[in-house]
Amino acid sequence: MNPAVAGYLLFAAALFGGWELAARLAVVDPDLLPRFSHVCVLLWHLLQDPRFITDLGVTASEVAVAFAIAAPLAIATGFLLGERVHLAEMFNPVVHFILAVPQSIFLPVFILAFGIGFVEKVLFGMTHAYFVIVVNSFAAVRSVPRPLVSAARVFGASRSQIYTRIYLPAMLPLILTGLRLGMIFCIIGVILAEMYASRSGVGRLIFSWGEGYQVPELLAGILLLSVLTIAVNEVMRLAELRVSRFQARAAAT
Amino acid sequence: MSTPVIEVSKLNKTFSAGRADVQALADVSFTVEQGQFVTLVGPSGCGKSTLLQIMAGLTGPTSGEVRIEGEPIRAPMPEKIGMVFQDPTLLPWSTALANVEFPLDLRGVDRATRRGRCTALLELVGLREFADHYPHELSGGMRQRVAIARGLAQDPRLILMDEPFAALDEQTRTRMGHDLLDIWEKTRKTVFFITHSLAEAIYLSDVVLVMSTRPGRILDTIPINLPRPREIDIIGSEAFGRLRNRIWHMITEARA
Repeated sequence: MNPAVAGYLLFAAALFGGWELAARLAVVDPDLLPRFSHVCVLLWHLLQDPRFITDLGVTASEVAVAFAIAAPLAIATGFLLGERVHLAEMFNPVVHFILAVPQSIFLPVFILAFGIGFVEKVLFGMTHAYFVIVVNSFAAVRSVPRPLVSAARVFGASRSQIYTRIYLPAMLPLILTGLRLGMIFCIIGVILAEMYASRSGVGRLIFSWGEGYQVPELLAGILLLSVLTIAVNEVMRLAELRVSRFQARAAAT
Repeated sequence: MSTPVIEVSKLNKTFSAGRADVQALADVSFTVEQGQFVTLVGPSGCGKSTLLQIMAGLTGPTSGEVRIEGEPIRAPMPEKIGMVFQDPTLLPWSTALANVEFPLDLRGVDRATRRGRCTALLELVGLREFADHYPHELSGGMRQRVAIARGLAQDPRLILMDEPFAALDEQTRTRMGHDLLDIWEKTRKTVFFITHSLAEAIYLSDVVLVMSTRPGRILDTIPINLPRPREIDIIGSEAFGRLRNRIWHMITEARA
């Protein structure tokens, strides 16, 4: 078996097995730690509850819209900074300053400015995704091997051919890394905004279950979000591995 | 006599590096005739590669000009000039065949024509059975052979070669030189070759241009009248040794 798969399985078995066992033996207060099997059954019921599905849909659409707007903007920004040295000299430090600040501290400002609706969640998700994608796209442009560009020019490549035939394939692995990290950050931003102040969304549900001491529901929510985000991450990582295998091997020779 | 393939006249190139300007080339002039194999030798950092970049149309001179078949060069001329770089510069995501096809592909030549011509070129460089291999699956020498085939893909009159064998081990390098002469005799291209190896220069060329340390100037033009076809043994001959000594002294005395 693939060692990574074996690792996942072993980890999951230990975590959930240990959880089930601890709950059954009442090592931990059963109010704080209901059985894993119980939580799974509850999750199954939740997934058939239309109100829960609506909340899930709200969160998913906030993430999707935020990502769909932020990603192309960020790639374009990173590309521009990568291609224009003087712009990079001016703005790279700014990007890094902004990345250093924990963006969650701006959430109250977002709420004051945009309320607690859909727009505010999308904007907060966008700012989370944007900068990390910019940084990776910038690195992607800089990773394009200059000798390949010279060679393409000598063989008569036009500017657009240089972009499509050299830049794009050379940049793709780092662009995808940026998109994957951006997606994770985007989900963090949206969920955070929902937990802090919202009328809908899975983030709000999880937060209110916690406040209401509804531990089984809370754990079911956490379990579902963990599985979903891991799945998103893995799918994007597979795409990344697929496109980067040539570059990685080329670098290794 | 017909128009020379290359005419370089009073070429100067100065780079501004911070406060000081660095002169890379000083009044470089020479001509290369149709079908000749001409090699430029010189110490590292003497401006050889800068000269080649100007000849390829990748960068402009500070003054002077380069004419290719009478036409002044200002931008790359893919139909006239093929090039082989020091790094093979193959596309890592494309197969050997697709890499050879790349220049034709850029020009929109149809697939069947491309396939036919480029398979023949891979055959010429001895890599026919490696057509579907990716660059990382090939050895350094094989990659450079693919690059040579790519340089020939547009059937240019002139091939520029920038220390193409510098990164190879001694044996592969000698073998590649021998095979290059073979290809040259079959295709009758004009070749302008750059190296810092005197033996390689003498072994390959009809004419050796000797360049000084920076700023690069042409110290002398030395015709190599060794008989062709040349075998590798010629490197041990007396005539070969005399030529090598002559060039060696020229370069070291110019430096002193």
